Amino acid sequence: MKITTLSQLEDLKRQGLTQTYPDKIKIMVGMATCGISAGADKVYTALEKKIAELGLDAVLEKTGCIGFCQREPLVDVIYPKQVRVSYEGVTPEKAEALVEALQTGEVFAENILCRIDQEDFLIEGKIRPYANPHPPALPGDIPTYEEVPFFKKQVKIALRNCGFIHPERIEEYIARGGYLALYKVLKEMTPEQVIEEVKASGLRGRGGAGFPTGLKWEFCRNAPGDMKYVICNADEGDPGAFMDRGILEGDPHAMLEGMAIGAYAMGAREGYIYCRAEYPLAIHRLEIAINQAEKLGLLGDNIFGTDFSFRVEIREGAGAFVCGEETALIASIEGKVGEPRPRPPYPAQSGLWGKPSNINNVKTWSHVAPIIMRGAKWYAKFGTKKSKGTTVFALVGKVNNTGLVEIPLGITLREMIFDIGGGIAGDRAFKAVQTGGPSGGCIPEQYLDTPVDYESLGALGSIMGSGGMIVMDDRDCMVDVAKYFIDFTKDESCGKCTPCREGTLRLMEMLEAITDGKGEEEDIEKLQDLSEMIIDSSLCGLGGTAPNPVLTTIKYFREEYEAHIWAKKCPARVCKALIVFHVDEDKCTGCTLCRKRCPVEAVEGVKKEAHRIIQEKCIKCGVCFDSCKFDAVIVE
Amino acid sequence: MGNGGQANKPVGKVMVVGAGIAGVQASLDLANAGFYVHLVEKKSAIGGVMAQLDKTFPTNDCSMCIISPKLVECGRHLNIDILTLTEVEGIQGEPGNFHVDVLKKARGVDMSKCTGCGTCLEACPIRYEPQMPEMERMARTAYAKATDEDAVTAIINRHRDKVGNLLPVLLDINRQFNWLPRCALEHVADELRIPLAEILRVASFYNAFSLVPRGKYIVNVCMGTGCFVKGAPRLLDRLERELGIKHGQTTEDFMFSLELVRCIGCCALAPAMRVGDDTFGRLTPNMIPRILKSYVESYGIEEEEEAAG
Ligand SMILES: Cc1cc2nc3c(=O)[nH]c(=O)nc-3n(C[C@H](O)[C@H](O)[C@H](O)COP(=O)(O)O)c2cc1C
Ligand code: FES
Repeated sequence: MKITTLSQLEDLKRQGLTQTYPDKIKIMVGMATCGISAGADKVYTALEKKIAELGLDAVLEKTGCIGFCQREPLVDVIYPKQVRVSYEGVTPEKAEALVEALQTGEVFAENILCRIDQEDFLIEGKIRPYANPHPPALPGDIPTYEEVPFFKKQVKIALRNCGFIHPERIEEYIARGGYLALYKVLKEMTPEQVIEEVKASGLRGRGGAGFPTGLKWEFCRNAPGDMKYVICNADEGDPGAFMDRGILEGDPHAMLEGMAIGAYAMGAREGYIYCRAEYPLAIHRLEIAINQAEKLGLLGDNIFGTDFSFRVEIREGAGAFVCGEETALIASIEGKVGEPRPRPPYPAQSGLWGKPSNINNVKTWSHVAPIIMRGAKWYAKFGTKKSKGTTVFALVGKVNNTGLVEIPLGITLREMIFDIGGGIAGDRAFKAVQTGGPSGGCIPEQYLDTPVDYESLGALGSIMGSGGMIVMDDRDCMVDVAKYFIDFTKDESCGKCTPCREGTLRLMEMLEAITDGKGEEEDIEKLQDLSEMIIDSSLCGLGGTAPNPVLTTIKYFREEYEAHIWAKKCPARVCKALIVFHVDEDKCTGCTLCRKRCPVEAVEGVKKEAHRIIQEKCIKCGVCFDSCKFDAVIVE
Repeated sequence: MGNGGQANKPVGKVMVVGAGIAGVQASLDLANAGFYVHLVEKKSAIGGVMAQLDKTFPTNDCSMCIISPKLVECGRHLNIDILTLTEVEGIQGEPGNFHVDVLKKARGVDMSKCTGCGTCLEACPIRYEPQMPEMERMARTAYAKATDEDAVTAIINRHRDKVGNLLPVLLDINRQFNWLPRCALEHVADELRIPLAEILRVASFYNAFSLVPRGKYIVNVCMGTGCFVKGAPRLLDRLERELGIKHGQTTEDFMFSLELVRCIGCCALAPAMRVGDDTFGRLTPNMIPRILKSYVESYGIEEEEEAAG
């Protein structure tokens, strides 16, 4: 069936609503890559088996990631006519207990994360309350979704459906207002009006550089030529970031609808999604989504019965970071080596196969439909003066609550890390937060009150980037971190331009010397000089930003570099050449664990007597330190 | 070293070690100044890496245009004696009077007749194949099974009509065999009418491809930032010790290949790794042996099934 009228869309919507909120118990398991690696597939099979065994009348579904990866595997239960409850850290055993409780008609009261007593239908601006948010069986002190600190400060626009719908069912996306925006655009708006709306919303690219999206669309629209392309950048090469994966695995239609709207606005008929091959599940779900939308006439020829046609194709990356850069990405889609080329001409003038093209990030596309439906004014309410709206961050590293968070721009780093992130894991001391991936920088404690927006982070020498936020504690060595990023860019430099190819190699050699205890007097200045040279003379953004991690760590953590160079010490006790492992003889109980685990037999001692580490043999792998239950192994 | 003190007249011979662009230029300058030059090069040909570069810095000149006339001149120069496939073994003496021992390796080609046409290179069967026969048996090479040629043909047909189809084809072949066997690439070159050199250039650019055989299971250890700060380096140490290989290598039984990957999108559950299609999160080094063992065991079962079926 092809949908051509609003009433047909509404029919499908009603069908979707009964499917999403059935009259019987519904159990949903978060099955994105993160959930599966935490064991959600085992939980799912356990649930499936037990439900069949007990003959429970319930629907079992998969859903995307609600964002709270730390507490994965997450299972949600909709108690019909009552409330929805989220369960955290569910094991297969707990899953069986859950089904047993449901079978007796009870509310399962263990492992509860929160209760969800209303759902936000963002697109339509409606709230869908649950009938009975306080069933007596539910313990009284269970927080609501909005009260959980992790969710409290979040505003979910791009992630609006993640964790709430089955990503492989288009009806469920439509149930929550999906494709209404595309309908509105095609039937009621001219392309110019769409562009005006996006411009007025102040939406800026979420892929890194933050270029105003509406403006970019206008360039592309005004470029001469009848064949134009829109491209979705889902290459997400930034290590330590998984926002795009979260959206593609949890709500692929949100991005597709945005792309179709963009294509209409720019006059494009074909689109490409360039997704990295490391995300097989995302690609799989995208394929399903495109198929379903084409069947319903929401993509493909004559969408909604109009004369607008738009087809999309998925292209897989092959593991090259530089292919996230727009000109390299275009070369890669063309089947060539993914090397960037100088701009201008910008892709808006001459992009894919020499035709005007527009590239936006997954998150940018996902913001489009809400902007159209709720209006630019509504969107611009969120955020700061120059950075409007919300953005998605992957909060990872040494925080208590890791996961995907969507925040209005302008909240401070402190709120991100300590309120949403729940502070540093293991009560260690905060040291730095790294934003922007290999192009970004490390921000120290004294700037924790900086608002998160394009300008403020830029002023500190870092960038917003695509949304990786990695928190580090006092056990992370900043020189080592800088070395890590340079190692990354050195490997990923495509080698086309000399400053980047040779420069990163030299930076790496110097940083290696420093961490090996062979640093020399003027090394810090040399690092800075070379860094600035690379920034000024590189061909593309990779080289142009690669030295940022070095520059920011020198700027904010100079004393650590100096400790490595002068005192030949690594204050964080990370750099292998500068540390030694000892046994504290008073604490050692002679349990022999370290001796047994040591891979090179560098520990000697007899049972019940203090052990000793033979320094000549020690390879500093840290196994003894990890194994010791009495804190008797000391690193210096 | 030259001994050219008297009356500014060059006498004696010079040895230049290494025939990259610098060595070639030095030899030419010396030879033109009247010295006899022995140009020693370890590889089979002179020229070094410059020929592989696209442009030179800072003038953006084409490097082949710079180097090729020099190579020709060097090869024809009567005062230059080119010693390829040769290594310096020992040097004695002092400036002005050196004695150098060199080891010149056999080439198996009559240099006086070879025109360097490259036909033998094309026909050589062992260029990308593993050289040890017992290994060859274990690695899945293209066309090892009767159905393999069909598989490659099917892959090519699936993408034949798309524009820019090289990458999707290579990705699928890589998935089929875990690496890109030479014969499959030749097949692609023939069918899609793309020069093999271009295919090799693309294949060697992207990290996902391998031009040497890999094991049955590819162990991808995440070295993304999220995993790095949560102890991925120690995980890698442990894996390298357990498997007895370094990253980038394959175990002798072609069971596992150990590789690094930059983020698999599981950062919230760091450190993470992927074995084949399975993702593991929240790992500690002590969990490694058990995980690897489960694959060895399941492989045994599959083998038996295959033998029985
Ligand atoms: C080295 C490099 C890597 C990049 N990687 C990505 C990436 O992984 N994902 C992305 O969306 N943009 C990436 N970009 C930014 C893109 O070039 C481009 O600006 C962006 O896709 C535009 O989309 P936007 O306007 O929605 O931000 C990268 C840029 C550079 C220089
Ligand atoms: S950093 Fe390891 S999965 Fe992202």
